Amino acid sequence: MEILILFACVLALVLIDIPIAVALGIVAVVAAVVTHGVGTLPNLPLELYNGATNFPLIAIPLFIMAGAIMNASGISQRLIAFASALLGFIRGGLAMVSIGASMFFAEISGSAVADVSALGSILIPAMKSKGYPSPLAAAVLSSAATLAVIIPPSIPMILYAVMAETSVVQLFVAGIVPGVLGGLGLMGMAYWFAIRYNLPIEEKFQWARVRKTFREAFWAFTLPVIILGAIFGGFVTATEGAAMAVFAALFIGLVVYRELDLKQLKQAMIEGGQQTAVVMLLVAASALLGNYLTEVQAPQHLAQAVSDFTTNKWAVLAILNVLFLILGMFLHSAAAIILVVPVVMPLVRAAGIDPVHFGLIVTVNLGIGQQTPPVASVLMVACSIAKSTVWEVTRVNIYFIMVLVTILLLVTYVPVTGMGLVDLFYR
Amino acid sequence: MTLERFRRGYTVALEWIVIALMAILFIEVSLGVIYRTVGVALVWYDEVASILLAWLTFYGSALASVKRAHIGCPELVDIAPPRVRAGVRVFAQLATIAFFLLMGWMGYSVLGALESDRLVSLPEVPVAWVQSVVPISAVLIVLAEIITLPGVVAASMRDKRPGAVEVTGGASH
Repeated sequence: MEILILFACVLALVLIDIPIAVALGIVAVVAAVVTHGVGTLPNLPLELYNGATNFPLIAIPLFIMAGAIMNASGISQRLIAFASALLGFIRGGLAMVSIGASMFFAEISGSAVADVSALGSILIPAMKSKGYPSPLAAAVLSSAATLAVIIPPSIPMILYAVMAETSVVQLFVAGIVPGVLGGLGLMGMAYWFAIRYNLPIEEKFQWARVRKTFREAFWAFTLPVIILGAIFGGFVTATEGAAMAVFAALFIGLVVYRELDLKQLKQAMIEGGQQTAVVMLLVAASALLGNYLTEVQAPQHLAQAVSDFTTNKWAVLAILNVLFLILGMFLHSAAAIILVVPVVMPLVRAAGIDPVHFGLIVTVNLGIGQQTPPVASVLMVACSIAKSTVWEVTRVNIYFIMVLVTILLLVTYVPVTGMGLVDLFYR
Repeated sequence: MTLERFRRGYTVALEWIVIALMAILFIEVSLGVIYRTVGVALVWYDEVASILLAWLTFYGSALASVKRAHIGCPELVDIAPPRVRAGVRVFAQLATIAFFLLMGWMGYSVLGALESDRLVSLPEVPVAWVQSVVPISAVLIVLAEIITLPGVVAASMRDKRPGAVEVTGGASH
C-alpha cells in the first residue's frame, strides 16, 4: 500500500512538470519526516551525496564523452561510407546503410539519442533527397538507433547492472547477438519498404571500395573492439575501459583523422557532464526514497503479492515486460531503470530469473520505449530532423517497432539468444 | 547587467566547472589504470573517483538547471491553457527551489558535525570539505531556478515549450 501511495505522489509531482529527481526527493523528505520526525532531516543531504558516489557509474560520463569525441572527429561520415560500400547495392540501399552504420556506431556509443543525432542529421536529409518518404527516413533512423543501447557499450545496461547489483560485463556480452539480430531484422523490414516504394539502389558492390572505406574507418572500428575485448576478457573494468575509450577517441580525433577541434572537444565535455549529472541526480534522489522503501520492505511485499498470484517464471516475465512497455511510453529509460529495477529485483530473484537475462530484457524493452510516444526521446530527435510529425512517423515506425518487439520476445522466451555467449564464456 | 546577460555568464561559468571535473575524472581514472598496470595501485583511486562523480553530479545539476535540462515530463502541462501553464510551472519551480533550499540548509548544518572526519584513503582531506558540494551546489541550483523563472513564465504564456534551452535528452540513452 505504501508503495502505491508513494508512486502516486511522485507521479502527481512529475505530471505538473517538477523534474523527476526533485519529485523523488520531495516525496522522500515527506516520507522521512512522517515516519521519523524532523530530526532525520540532516541525514538526507548525506544520503543524497552517498547516492551519487557510485563507483561503477563513472563509466557513464566517460562513455558519453568517448562517443561525443568520436562523433566530432568525422567518424560518422567514415562509418556511413563503409556501410554504403558494404550494403549500398541492396534495394533501398540508403535505409540499409542507415541501419548498418547504426550498428557500427553502437559499438562506440552507448546512447540511442547520440546515435540518431549523429547519423540522422546526415542520413535523413540524404534519404529524403533520394525520394524516400520523410516519415520512412525518420522511422528507419529512429528504430535503428535502438541498437546503440543493445550492442555494447550501453548506458542503460551500466545503470541496470548497478541498480540490480549484477555484472555489467556479462550484460554487455548478452547484448551482442540480440543487437546483431535486431539489425538484420530491421534491414529485412527496410527491404520490404524498399520493394513497396521502389526505392533506389545506391552503388554497385565493389571489393575495392569496401577495402578503401574500411581502411579509412579502420581506427574507428578497431579501437572500440579492442577496448570491448579488454573489458570482456577481464583485463580492465567497464569504468577503466570507458577511460581507455576516451583516450582512444582523443587519439583518433587528434592524431589519426586530425579533425577534432578544441571547440568540439569542449562541447563534447559539457554535454557528457550535463547528461551524466541529470542521470546521476536521479540515482542520488532515488537512493533517498530507496532507503524508505527498504525500511518498509516494499520490494519484498511486491514480490510476495505477485508470487501469490503466480510463481511461474515466464508469466512473471510477461507481467514485467508489459509493465516496462507501459512505463517506457511515459518515462525516460534511465528514470524507468532507476525507479523500478530496485523495486522488482526481489521478485525477479524469487521467480528464479537470471538477473543478467532480466537486464537484457529491460534494456531491449526500454529501447522500444524510446520509440513509443508520448515520451520517446529517440523518435522525437528523428522527427525533428526529418521535419515530420510524431504521428506520421509512428504510423511507419510501428512496423519497425514490431521487429524490435519480436527481438524482445526472442530474448525473453528463448534465453539462449542473449545468454548463449554469456553461458559459453563466463559460466 | 541584464538578467539575460547574467544568465549567459552564469551558464558559461558552470560549463567550465563541468569541463574541469570531466577532465580531472578522465585523468584520474586513466592514472588509476596506468598505475595498476605497472603494479603500483593507487590506494585513493576509487574513493577520489567516486567523489569526483558526486561533484560532477551536483555541479552538473546546477548547469542542467540553468539550461532547463533536467529529466521531466512536460507533456501534460504543455497542453494546458497559457495562464494555467505559467501558474503550474511557477509552482513547480518554487517546489524545486524549496527542496534545494532544504538540502542546502541541512547539508550546511551537518558540515560542523563532520569536522573531525577525514577521507579513508587520504587522511589529510576533511570529509566536510568534500561534502560541501551539497550546500554549495544547492545554492547554485536555487540561483539557476530564480534567474530562469521569468523566461519560463514568458515562454509559457507565449508557446508550448518553455525553457531557455531545448531539453538535450539528458537521460535519453
